[in-house]
Amino acid sequence: MPAATETVDATSWLWSHIVWRHWLREWKLTIVLLLIIALGVAVFLSIRLANKAAVSGFGMFTESVSGESDFQLRPSAGLIPNRSLRDLRHRLGSLPVGLFPVVETTGVIAGDDERLVRVIGLDLVAMQNAVNYAGGISGPQSNAQREAVGPTFLNTDTLVFSGDAFSQSRGISAGDELTLLFGDREVTVEMGGILAENPNLPSIPENLVLVDLPSLQQLTDMSGVSRIEVRFPEGAFRTEVEFDASEILDAIAEENGWLLETPEQRKESVTQMSAAFRLNLTILSGLALLVGTYLIMQAMEAAVIKRRAEMAVLRSLGVTPLEIRKSWVVEGLAIGMMGSVLGVVIGFGLAQGMVGAIGRTVNTLYYETTSNAIRLELGEILFSMGFGVLASLVAVLIPARDAALTPPAQMMRRGAPGGGLLLLRQRWLGIAVILAGLASSLIPPWVIKSGPAVPIGGYMAAVFMVVGGSILIGVFFRPVSRAMRQIGGRREARSRYAASQLARPAGRHLLTAAGLAVAIGMSAAMGILVASFESTLTAWIQQILKADLYVSGGGNSSVDNRSSLAFDTWQRIEKMPGVSGVDVLRQYRFTLDGKDTVLGASDYSDDLDRTLQMVWLDAPRDTSEKNLLKLFDDKTPAWISESFSRRFAVTKGDSLTLPTPAGPKSLSITGLYADYGNEAGMLVVHRNFTRDWFSDDSITNMALYLEAGSDPEELAKTIRSTFPSLKVQTNRRLREDSLRIFHQTFAVTYALEGIAVLIAVSGLGLALAGLLIERKEELITLKSLGSTRKEIASGAMLEGLGIAVVGLIGGFLISFALGWVLIEVINPQSFGWTLTYRVPWTMFGVLALITLVTAAAVAYLVGYRNAEVKSDRED
Amino acid sequence: MKALQVSRLTKSYGSVPILKEVSLTLDCGERVALMGPSGSGKSTLLNCIGGIDRPDGGSIQVGQVDLGALDEDGLCHLRRKTVSTVFQFFHLLPTLSVRENIEFPLHLRGVEATERLERVEKLIKEVGVESRSEAYPHELSGGEMQRVAIARALSIRPRMILADEPTGNLDSKTGEAILDLLETLSDRHETAMLMVTHSREVTRICSRVVEMRDGRLLEEDIAV
Ligand SMILES: Nc1ncnc2c1ncn2[C@@H]1O[C@H](COP(=O)(O)OP(=O)(O)O)[C@@H](O)[C@H]1O
Ligand SMILES: [Mg+2]
Repeated sequence: MPAATETVDATSWLWSHIVWRHWLREWKLTIVLLLIIALGVAVFLSIRLANKAAVSGFGMFTESVSGESDFQLRPSAGLIPNRSLRDLRHRLGSLPVGLFPVVETTGVIAGDDERLVRVIGLDLVAMQNAVNYAGGISGPQSNAQREAVGPTFLNTDTLVFSGDAFSQSRGISAGDELTLLFGDREVTVEMGGILAENPNLPSIPENLVLVDLPSLQQLTDMSGVSRIEVRFPEGAFRTEVEFDASEILDAIAEENGWLLETPEQRKESVTQMSAAFRLNLTILSGLALLVGTYLIMQAMEAAVIKRRAEMAVLRSLGVTPLEIRKSWVVEGLAIGMMGSVLGVVIGFGLAQGMVGAIGRTVNTLYYETTSNAIRLELGEILFSMGFGVLASLVAVLIPARDAALTPPAQMMRRGAPGGGLLLLRQRWLGIAVILAGLASSLIPPWVIKSGPAVPIGGYMAAVFMVVGGSILIGVFFRPVSRAMRQIGGRREARSRYAASQLARPAGRHLLTAAGLAVAIGMSAAMGILVASFESTLTAWIQQILKADLYVSGGGNSSVDNRSSLAFDTWQRIEKMPGVSGVDVLRQYRFTLDGKDTVLGASDYSDDLDRTLQMVWLDAPRDTSEKNLLKLFDDKTPAWISESFSRRFAVTKGDSLTLPTPAGPKSLSITGLYADYGNEAGMLVVHRNFTRDWFSDDSITNMALYLEAGSDPEELAKTIRSTFPSLKVQTNRRLREDSLRIFHQTFAVTYALEGIAVLIAVSGLGLALAGLLIERKEELITLKSLGSTRKEIASGAMLEGLGIAVVGLIGGFLISFALGWVLIEVINPQSFGWTLTYRVPWTMFGVLALITLVTAAAVAYLVGYRNAEVKSDRED
Repeated sequence: MKALQVSRLTKSYGSVPILKEVSLTLDCGERVALMGPSGSGKSTLLNCIGGIDRPDGGSIQVGQVDLGALDEDGLCHLRRKTVSTVFQFFHLLPTLSVRENIEFPLHLRGVEATERLERVEKLIKEVGVESRSEAYPHELSGGEMQRVAIARALSIRPRMILADEPTGNLDSKTGEAILDLLETLSDRHETAMLMVTHSREVTRICSRVVEMRDGRLLEEDIAV
């Protein structure tokens, strides 16, 4: 016997002699494969990063503008009076606790296209902190700087400070004058200097200016501060001081009905990222995940298929199935790893572009600017790399298992179809998964304590619908094949050939169609969601916008409560000739159960037809419920919006306690109405009550009804010339604006969806290339039978079209189911809006057309190329 | 002891029976030609014997090993040690040089480096590809590829070689040379051989010819 020991494990040898050499030899293919994986990872990572940057950038700088505070004290509603600050200092006695009052408001710079500016007032010390924090100040002369922090609020020109982005985007530099509009006020200030950027910190938002606190109070006529930041000393005493001070602060907060929060807690309640928008991004990252997985699986499967025969030879030489599987796992891991690293680089770049788009959307919606810096966090990198590696691994596992278990003789038989993905052939599994989806749609949402509700069951149902649908896709191949045969006629060889391929779909056909169906299904479902939103919103706007003119303070946004119209102002407008009636609304931001929401005070009265403008979901019934003026059960009657009802789990008939500067008030809810304009929810009471509670007669906005025959444009002109700082909009303009903002919200969606569909179609091309390589012998036969290159190409085109049609049918069916889940399950659970289901047929048509045309083109090209390669080899 | 005992072997694809109770025996070192029209099941029979396909019924015994009793790994070990296959389409591994292709089965068996080297050198000489030993398969002619495939098959010193139309893809002159090579080497190493062929010429190196017809074996003796 030869000196042979027992047999050895061949894995590492396979790696160095087979796998590695394949990579080198076919380096072009290897690069393509790496790029595809990288693309999958990049799409996934970039959406996550952009999403995260948009969400976390939100209000981040302002939270930390005065340094790292330990706590914030803020009122549930209204302001903290100036005298309370002194009181607070007194109560804390000798404890070395830093107290930094902050005034925060919004305004608009005249001639700046109505871009809202956040104006933050800080006191001397905090201002210095902010400067230090930012890493110095540039621009101003040293005495101007001293002036800024000195008691200079008696000057006619108040100094403001901003970051680089602010000054650059508006072309304002140190020393320039600018006119700020606060509600109906107009003040002139001077740019005192530009704060330097600190590279280690989030950049200073481009819409932020800092002002000396007393000056700002004077300019805006505020007799209190928005919040007080509390800082404990560093060092040995810290814990002791913290312990003693917390107790006192707790007590004071309790007495005054204020909130004592850590910055983290605060951030949670501030980050009012639109639920629709968040949902949007969640679905998009889901889409990226699925499309990315699909791409990677396609690419890896193609690589496995190409080496099927080689696997068979290896096995015929005695390599065990386990060794073959191991070598594929190693290969999948290595390729996945390299592709993912590349993907992280590409994804980082993509995210930079994307965050700009998302940031613009957020800006349009909330007048908040995100900090544009994308931070490449290790966690995110690992997560998306893990995704890439896992997807590559799963992608090789299924075909490698097949390659390892199929008897080698079968694999060597040329022309035999690949074993394919057995799972995609299991009808019962598809049906079971869809049933599971239906069942999970019944699971109630998971409510995080004082946080948003997470529609777990809804998301599960969505995933099940998509997966189940893509498993069932196989059933459409036969009908499509039959239709193709019929259309092509008996004698048309190409269509008959293509039809015969579709009649017995290989695993690759199924995988391709499934991938296409997933991409199209998710895109189309988003289309359904958007269309349903839009039609509901349009109908709602039609119904509620009945007045002729709308007037608000300059730079007013729906969630801000300080840009107001003083009593005199709105009285004068009301008395202008041509005005037959007005509705006024005062909005206050307040905090209930740790969540920010809005209190609306209106002059609604039950004898006005105008009250019917509300879209009721649960209308006030009798006259006592309809009358907001009279106490109901000894409580102040209030109406709530649908979002409010969901966020605070109250509905018509319930009571609640509202914190006000005049102490807590008991309210009784007598009506529930639809409001698609405000996701924070709104609670409406009569203005007669809030006048007393807030000692405030100003309003936020007013709706004017004109006498018959008066021209709204004319009146708008008159108002604008009398009050230049006010924003006056006609009915038409407001409607257009609302819809424009709406479309802006979904602008990112459309762009990313387009990318997803394109990626899916290129996946189709890749898959066809794989199919043709697999059918090498058949192509040679076709050529030897006299088929021209063009004929082979058009045969491939027909086959590609067939797969695309199957993908489209499946995709649209998936989208109906998914759309239903989004609108009837996820939407009501996550932000409680009632929407009407609407299918955007035009968009579907365009989507189908684009898919078919691209698929045909890609398939033809792939067929053409492959036909050439074969003939070369034959010669 | 017999090199191979096949008895009442059956195999069908779907509902189509391919092998119908095939029985066959080979003595040690014996060379047998398997002939028959195409599609009659010759390759299927060879694949079952080589353990790269699974029969439905009957039994195969190679040496003293009963294939029916082996699992996938067992079959692998059989292929590593006892049975080699030479294919019509050569099936060399494209990323390996000539030398590495021949060496590969020895690697799998864990043969030590020095001995491996020695055996490979000898085989390279025996099949006459000394000048091409560092070339890769795509640089070889058909005859050269088949020589390498034969060297690879012989490297493990198998008890039996299964050759499926080894000269089917070669011109007649090259085919002749390959046949001579097979004869010499199987004599030298006392290797039994079952060889599928369509050509009467080829049978000259065989002691027996069996004919496959419609899934059954008809034995015919020929004068050698
Ligand atoms: N994997 C398979 N699936 C279906 N039929 C097969 C398969 N492999 C072989 N056959 C059929 O079995 C018959 C015998 O094939 P084969 O053994 O290759 O014949 P031969 O080698 O004698 O030409 C043929 O009719 C062939 O079509
Ligand atoms: Mg054959």
